Amino acid sequence: MEINTELLGNRTNTGHNTKITAENINLFYGDFQALRDINMEIQECAITSLIGPSGCGKSSFLRIFNRMNDLIKNARITGNVKLDDIDIYARDIDVVELRKKVGMVFQKPNPFPMSIYENIAYGPKRHGIKNRAEIEEIVEKSLKQAALWDDIKDKLKQSALALSGGQQQRLCIARVLAVEPEVILMDEPCSALDPIATLKIEDLMRSLAKDYTIIIVTHNMQQAARVSDLAAFLMMEEDRAGVLVEYGNTSEIFTNPKDKRTEDYITGRFG
Amino acid sequence: MEMRTVFNKELRQIQNDLLAMSSMTEKAISYSVKALKERDIELANRIIEDDKKINSARFEIEEKCIKLIATQQPMAGDLRTIIAVLNILSEVERIGDHAEGNAKIVLMIGNEPPLKPLIDIPRMAEKTIDMLHRSLGSFIERDKDTAMKIAAEDDEVDELYDQVFRELLTFMAEDPKTITRATRLIWVAHNLERSADRVTNICERIVYMVTGKMQEIGASKY
Repeated sequence: MEINTELLGNRTNTGHNTKITAENINLFYGDFQALRDINMEIQECAITSLIGPSGCGKSSFLRIFNRMNDLIKNARITGNVKLDDIDIYARDIDVVELRKKVGMVFQKPNPFPMSIYENIAYGPKRHGIKNRAEIEEIVEKSLKQAALWDDIKDKLKQSALALSGGQQQRLCIARVLAVEPEVILMDEPCSALDPIATLKIEDLMRSLAKDYTIIIVTHNMQQAARVSDLAAFLMMEEDRAGVLVEYGNTSEIFTNPKDKRTEDYITGRFG
Repeated sequence: MEMRTVFNKELRQIQNDLLAMSSMTEKAISYSVKALKERDIELANRIIEDDKKINSARFEIEEKCIKLIATQQPMAGDLRTIIAVLNILSEVERIGDHAEGNAKIVLMIGNEPPLKPLIDIPRMAEKTIDMLHRSLGSFIERDKDTAMKIAAEDDEVDELYDQVFRELLTFMAEDPKTITRATRLIWVAHNLERSADRVTNICERIVYMVTGKMQEIGASKY
């Protein structure tokens, strides 16, 4: 694996700090090694896309950042992941608290079968906020941030399931925002959406990137090219373990990748 | 199995079209100097007529590039190739215009007696054609080193231009009646000098296509 240090060197020019550091990450599902020796620094308040062929371990890698792999039986990880300076795999880490800081949006919109309002209020309430006015404020703010408020401010009591797919996904983003995360993980957030809804989510991501660190897994290379500041290309080695092939500024990755394998993948010559 | 067969085929076609257009342009330069030497009005008219074909080839290739960008979302090396083609196209087309310009000068000169035997102007044309030809070769071969070398050869054309200019100046100084004829020849030499400059621009685009780096190579004296 080779990190393009020349490209990473540009990070200081963009004024971003490192938000997450992944060091020597190896991930196993039982005997199967899913990720091998991954080192990567994720920049704060930027969008980082993870691209690569199916099965290369992008989603597994994404789930490392909020310990979602803990939920998978037989999953075992070695290496270090630091969020700011906190080792998120340390024994004393409260995983619920971690997932509040590192929120996640999934492939299919998964609103809770309750009202729009309750979907957003659910997180803050669980995290101990009881004051009704405060919760109302959070609901409004989160929906505004997710560019959904104007669409649905008059139907907050309606079921979230009645919204369109694109609206449901923005609701899920609002739900993540409601607990004031620092990092948002997105696992193919647009793959179930039509092109217009997709562009709306991408616009939303760009506006959120001012305040949040976003990591997105996407199969859609044009989406990675459009939306992300940095892009990381992962692929499988012969034993099917995922490795990081190249990581750098998105504009460089898509116009002048350094590694032949990246070039072949993004020009559609394999994968 | 080769992937993206349709895309690859279209991208190859675009590059072949560019080669064909470039070889029409080489001929135009060569014929324009021949027409000048031989006072061949008919040939000059044919060059002017043929320039329309070069111009329309340029638009056709450009449209193919745009279509490929719009429909296939080319990335990385493919994208750089298409961008290089778009830039090279306009340089080649302009070189064609310079040749057409020289053909028009031939028409202006008409049957006036030659001022002097042409020596350096044909050399300039020969060198420019050679540079253009080899630059397109290095485009196809993705050979940036050759492209850099060709760009450096522009100095030779510049030197010939200097020589032509100085020589014609002496004619004009000695006998003001030669001014019109000498000036026309300077125009011809200038068109050739500009054509060679445009070849260096083509070489820059080849370097970009291969390396992804935009850089000016061998800035011309003129």
